[in-house]
Amino acid sequence: MQQSISYLHVKLLQHPELQYVMRIQAWQTDFLRFYHSQTNYNISKSSISLSTTIYKGKKSYSFEIDDPHPAKTDKALALALSIIDSLPDDPDFVDIENDQTMAEPRKIANNIEAIPLTLKTQILQQLADAAKPYDFEIYGTFICNYSTERLINSNGLDKISIVSPIYLEVKAVHNKSQITVMETYGGDDFSYFDLKDFQTRLLAKICYCGTECVDVEPGHYQVVLAPRCLAEFVQYLGYGMSARSLDQRSSFFEGKLDKLVFPANISITDDPHDPEMIRKDYGSDGHIYKTLSLIDKGVFRNFLCNNYYAHKTGQPKNGNTASCLKIATGDKTLEELIGSVKKGLYISSLHYMNFINPKETSLTGLTRDGTFLIEDGKITKVVKNLRFTERIERILNNVIALENRSFTIPFSENYQAFDIETVRAPHALVADFNVTSSTHTI
Amino acid sequence: MEQLIKNTAAKLLRPDIQFADVRITSTDYEDITFMNGNLRNYSSGIGSPAIGIRVLINGCWGFAGAKELKESKIESLISQAIANAKHGSKFTHNAVQFPANKPTTAEYHHLPKINPFLMDRAEKVDYLQKLATEIAPANKIVYSYVSASFMRQEKHYANSEGSYSHTSFYNTMPAMMVVASDGGPVQSRNWPGDMSAGRGGFELFYEQEFAQNTQRIIKEATDLLSAPTIEEEKADIIIGNSQLALQLHESVGHATEADRIFGMEISYAGKTFVKPEMLRKYQYGSPILNVYSDSTDLRGMGFHPMDDEGVPGRKVDIIKNGVLMDQQTSRHIAHMLGLEPSSNMKASFADDFPLVRMTNLCIAPGKGSLEELIKSTENGYLLDFNKTWSIDDNRNNFQFTTEIGYKIVDGRIVGIVKEPTYFGITKDFWNACDAICGEEEWGYFGTFYCGKGEPGQAMQLSHGVAPARFRNINVSVKM
Repeated sequence: MQQSISYLHVKLLQHPELQYVMRIQAWQTDFLRFYHSQTNYNISKSSISLSTTIYKGKKSYSFEIDDPHPAKTDKALALALSIIDSLPDDPDFVDIENDQTMAEPRKIANNIEAIPLTLKTQILQQLADAAKPYDFEIYGTFICNYSTERLINSNGLDKISIVSPIYLEVKAVHNKSQITVMETYGGDDFSYFDLKDFQTRLLAKICYCGTECVDVEPGHYQVVLAPRCLAEFVQYLGYGMSARSLDQRSSFFEGKLDKLVFPANISITDDPHDPEMIRKDYGSDGHIYKTLSLIDKGVFRNFLCNNYYAHKTGQPKNGNTASCLKIATGDKTLEELIGSVKKGLYISSLHYMNFINPKETSLTGLTRDGTFLIEDGKITKVVKNLRFTERIERILNNVIALENRSFTIPFSENYQAFDIETVRAPHALVADFNVTSSTHTI
Repeated sequence: MEQLIKNTAAKLLRPDIQFADVRITSTDYEDITFMNGNLRNYSSGIGSPAIGIRVLINGCWGFAGAKELKESKIESLISQAIANAKHGSKFTHNAVQFPANKPTTAEYHHLPKINPFLMDRAEKVDYLQKLATEIAPANKIVYSYVSASFMRQEKHYANSEGSYSHTSFYNTMPAMMVVASDGGPVQSRNWPGDMSAGRGGFELFYEQEFAQNTQRIIKEATDLLSAPTIEEEKADIIIGNSQLALQLHESVGHATEADRIFGMEISYAGKTFVKPEMLRKYQYGSPILNVYSDSTDLRGMGFHPMDDEGVPGRKVDIIKNGVLMDQQTSRHIAHMLGLEPSSNMKASFADDFPLVRMTNLCIAPGKGSLEELIKSTENGYLLDFNKTWSIDDNRNNFQFTTEIGYKIVDGRIVGIVKEPTYFGITKDFWNACDAICGEEEWGYFGTFYCGKGEPGQAMQLSHGVAPARFRNINVSVKM
C-alpha cells in the first residue's frame, strides 16, 4: 500500500506544473448478516484503492486505481496527463487543502480481529435464545470494518487515518404478528459494548409488544422520538448546514448565520473525539477534524465547509462533515417524557425519508421497528407503521423537552461506499407531529 | 481469464462444498459533472478488477471478495469463504438447499452506437459544456448541473455445476437539472427524469433529446416559482414514463423480490406485504395490468444470458391480468416457494454477494398515444419528473412528489402546478389503473442507483413502461 502511493508520488514530483491530491485506502470488512435467528451469509471483503486528482492551473482530472501496481499507475497517469490540458477550467478552483495540523496519536484496535466470527455468533446466539421465549426471532447485521487511509498532497500534507467501526443491529421480530423492535450498538471501542445491558434493553422493547396492535388516524400528535429518530432528523438537517448546499441555494440556513432558528434547548455539535462514538481524525481533504458548534442554544453558528467551498462561498473552512453529531441532552427522564403525554406516540425508528423541498426542510418518511401508542402517560399498544410529512425545522421548533441522557446511534452509509457513522442523541418530546397516513402494516 | 476462473471453480469441487461459484469482473467508468456551467469533476477508473467466491457448506453461505486477482489472494479468498460458511453454519438451523441445474455456457458482448470510452474526448466534453452553458445560472436560475456517467463491465462466471458465462456491456446515465429561486423557496426541473440510465453509450444524450430540452427546463423551473399547488383532495392522474418507472420499481419491483418474504432484507431494505399464499390469487392491479421480468431483452440494462448463480435469462410473468403470478427469486428461495428460479440473482461487482434484484421489470404496453390519453381525461393532472419518493417497510404505503404537474381540463393541458404529491396503498393504486398507453409510447427507463443489501450495492437496472392513468388518487398532503 505504502509502495503504491510512494511510486505515484515520485512520478508526480517530476511534474512541478501540477498540484495533486493522492489517497490510498486499504479497506476490509467482516460482515455477518442474520435472519430467523440464524446466519444468512458471512462476507469478507477487502480492497486497496489509490485515488488521485491532478490540477493544472484551474483544470483538474481524477483517476482511481484498484489494486495499484506500477504498470497500471503509469498507464493511468499517462492518460491523465494527456487529457488535462484539453479540459475546460473550473474558475472557482483556487487551491487545494493546506491544513498541516496533525491529529493526536491514539491507539486503534482492529475490530475484525478483536471480534472474530466465533464471538459474533456466540453473542447472536445468546440474543436469539433470550428472544425465543417471547416467540421473537432476531434479524440484522454484525459488522466490523478496518480501514487505513493515507493522504498526500502537493501542499505538503501527508496524513494517515485509521478507523475500525463496529455496527451491531438486532431486530427482534414476532413470528406471528411481525411486530418488530430494534436495538443497536455502534462505536470503535468494543469495551463499551455491554451484552447484558444490550439484551436487557432489547427484551424491554419486546415486552412492550405483548399488547394489541392498532391503527391511528392521520393528524397531529404529541410524540416521543427515540434517539435514533432525533438523530436521523438532525442528520438530514445537516444537508442544509453544508457550504455546498449554501452554494447551490438549497440551504435552509442561508441568511441565518448567528440567528436564532430553534428553541434554546437545541444545541448540536460535530464532535470527533467522543470515545463512545466512532471517532475521526481528519475531515474533508485531510483537514484536521475539530469539534464544531453547529447550533448553540438555538442559534445557527457554522456551515460545514471544506477547502473548495470556503474559497467559493467565503465561509470559514473547517473540514467538518457532520459525521460525529451530538445533540445536547435536557433535564427529563424518559419516564417523565412519556409520563407527560396524555395521548400520543412513541416512535422508535424512521424509514425511507426524502426531502420534498430541502430549502424548507420539508420531507416525508415512515416509522418502523416499533411505533407505540401512549395513553395517560404509559405505552399501551403497538401502532401500525405511519407516514409523516413534516419540516425538520418545525419538528425542532416543537421540541418541548429532551431526555437527561443520550445514546450512541450507529448508521450505516449503505448506498455506494460502505461506511459507518454514529450520532449521540437523547429522547425528545415533540408537539404537533404531523402523521399523514397509515401503512396499515407492521 | 476464462482459464483463471475455471481453475478457481475447479478448486471448489470438494465433497464438503455443496455448491460454489466464482465471478470475476473488470470495470471501467467515467464520470463528468458540470456545475453552474463549469467543469467540476472529470474522473475515471479503468480496468478495476474484482473477484468473489461463494460457497455453500453445511447449508450456509460463505463469501469472500476482493479487488485484486493475484493467485495468493485467490487462495486466501477460497480459505476465507470456506471458513465463513463453516463458522456461519454453527448459527444455522434451516439449511439452504436447491436442486442442481444442468451446466450451460453463454457468451454475449454488447457494443454501444457511440463508445463513450473511445469517442473523441473533445467532442464529448464540448457537447456537455454546451449543455452546461445553456443552462448556467441566469435570471432566476441559481444553480445547474449536467452530468454523464459511463460504465463498461466485463464479467466471467463459473460454478461448480460446470456452467460458465462471459459477457460485457456498456451502460450510460445522462442527466441535467436547473434550480430556480426568486429569493424564497426553490423549484427544480431535471431532464429526462431520474430514470435516465440505459444500455448504450453517448448516443443516449442524443436519443433523450438533451439539447432540445434545455430551454424547456429553464422555463418550467422559473414558472414553477409562481405556480399554484393542487387543491383537490383526490384527482385522476396520468403518470409519465420516468415517474411511472419509479412507481413500478418501488411498489411492484421491490415488493415482489421474494427474499423480502423470508425476512432476508429486514435489517436494511425491508419486508414486503406479499405472502406466498397470494400467488395466482391476489388481485394486485386492474385487469389491464401486466408486469413481467425479462432478463432476455437486449435493450434493457437487466439483460443477461445467465444470472449470477448460473440460471439462464428468463421472461417471467409477475402480474398477469392484474393477478400476482410469480416472484423474483434466487434458486434457494424459488425452491422454498415451489417455483422455477426467475434468473434475478445479481451482484453489482464480482466482490459483491449476489442478491435477488430486478433486471428488466416492465409493464406491458396497452393502447393509444399519450396525446389520446390526455384527450380522454376530463379533469386531472399529468405528473412526471420525480422529486421525492418514499415507501414503507412493507412496500404498501407510498408517497411521491414530482417536480411538475400539468393540469388537464376537458382533455387539454391548461397550466402547471408545483410539487404535486400523490400517495396511496399499493393494491388500491394499481387497481385504479384504467389505461396504459401503447407501444408507440413504451420505452426503457433505468437507474444506476437501486440500493439494496449489506454491504450496500447499487444496481443498474431498467423498467419498460408507457404512460398510464390512475383514477381518484389522493393528491392532498396537508402539512
